[in-house]
Amino acid sequence: MYTDVNALLGHWPFRKIRKPTLEDLRSVHRDNGITGGYVSSINAIFYNDPFEGDEELHELIGGTEYRHVLTVNPTLPGWQRDIEEGLERFGIHGVRVYPTYHDYDLNGEAMAELCETLKRFRLPLFLTMRMEDERLDYLMKPNPLNIESLRTFVSAWPELDVIVLTIRYAEIAALKEEFNRLPRLRLDTSGLKDRVFVLEDLLTFIPAGKIVYGSLHPLFCLKSTFCLVDMAELAEETKRAIFAENARFLQRSGAD
Amino acid sequence: MIIDVHTHLWGGQYEESKSTLLRACDVFGLSKLYVSGLKEHYPDPDEIARLNADVHRLMTECPGIVEGYCYVNPAHDNALDVLKRGIEQYGMSGMKLWVATFCDDPRVFPLVEQCIDYNVPILIHSFYKTVGQLPYESTGVHVANLARRYPNAKLLMAHFGGNCYHGIKAVRGCRNVWHDFSGTMFRRDDVDYAVERLGADRIVFGSDMPITFAVNYGQVEEANLTPEQKERIYWKNALELFDRKYRIG
Repeated sequence: MYTDVNALLGHWPFRKIRKPTLEDLRSVHRDNGITGGYVSSINAIFYNDPFEGDEELHELIGGTEYRHVLTVNPTLPGWQRDIEEGLERFGIHGVRVYPTYHDYDLNGEAMAELCETLKRFRLPLFLTMRMEDERLDYLMKPNPLNIESLRTFVSAWPELDVIVLTIRYAEIAALKEEFNRLPRLRLDTSGLKDRVFVLEDLLTFIPAGKIVYGSLHPLFCLKSTFCLVDMAELAEETKRAIFAENARFLQRSGAD
Repeated sequence: MIIDVHTHLWGGQYEESKSTLLRACDVFGLSKLYVSGLKEHYPDPDEIARLNADVHRLMTECPGIVEGYCYVNPAHDNALDVLKRGIEQYGMSGMKLWVATFCDDPRVFPLVEQCIDYNVPILIHSFYKTVGQLPYESTGVHVANLARRYPNAKLLMAHFGGNCYHGIKAVRGCRNVWHDFSGTMFRRDDVDYAVERLGADRIVFGSDMPITFAVNYGQVEEANLTPEQKERIYWKNALELFDRKYRIG
């Protein structure tokens, strides 16, 4: 069962998105043999109260094959209750953060409190590096996430399941010691684009078990990331692991 | 069939670049590559000569698969001689302009006029950025200026101009501008947007290898295109662009 850990629904305000609906997501997934995934709300990134975006998301995907990942800005009040409500009402499977858009310190007090809460509820953290190529969006310029800041953060929370989303090859190489040392640190495929045989090269210094399939649909082209894995010169079981087995840790016991 | 109109040999990495390009041809089933040599942003004449010699070497070692662009720095006094050697001696198929000058710098004009005589296309790096814009890095606006000055020149605007919403809007009325979407931009809607605004007849497939391939291949496969439009993008438009009997304007 192929899984996409990085899919989104909602309105992206900076350009027209041609495939924004749940049916579009299902269709592109079906075309590529993907049977489910972990979905966040785009709207929640930009709403003053992110939870309103998650309520909208739940109306779309509640009861479907898609699992809800809650958006949290830990610098806002009330996020603890949002997580509790998210678990109760939406059956959330994780929490997603956007430090570059919400402009806070990954190693600050707010994130520390969030991480303690995630540990308590045994929820994974979906950590967004970027949503667009930094060169391209002239309307909004999020602060880039500093690699040293990320290194400090992941080293401070070794017992937390963290998926770093849309991380680039050079950034992974800079953190290769952490990716090898920390068993619960993983990355998705949506940022892998800087070499022709990028997966083959990546697997020379990090284990395949660290990589989970994520597309950043509908912002990024799902077929591009799919082809990165599908066309890679790797053993079929390695590709299957990236597409499916490596994401099994996200399944919540008793819930899936 | 896929013709990749935008690939590179990196200066000083001949064997590694060659290996990657040929491996990609095998793995992805590519029929032909158009290659330029690149290294420094502001190369001196010696580096230009070495890069073009490397591309010529690759053309000779891989006949029928590799064609070359002659890389020129318009700021050099010998730029026209470099172009002539590339096309006439090396048998290259076009000219490559990168970031040493804007493409509508007057020093480029004699080169464009020579390319019109040869009827070869000019691959122009074009990238509008919000961060990291290089001092003389062309954007779609510069390409449009050049296109309007030389309506008979075949211009190939690379990368959709970086931010496609900027680049394509700048050149939209210019019938002598072709477009590739090579590189790492990765956005799902760029190809659809370009086809809606331009039609499919002026869009050619380029990857920017050895930087990436699957990004751009995936964009074509997922875009809302008919089989005929995909064919045009994958190879038919490239055949037209590089056909020296096909004149524009």
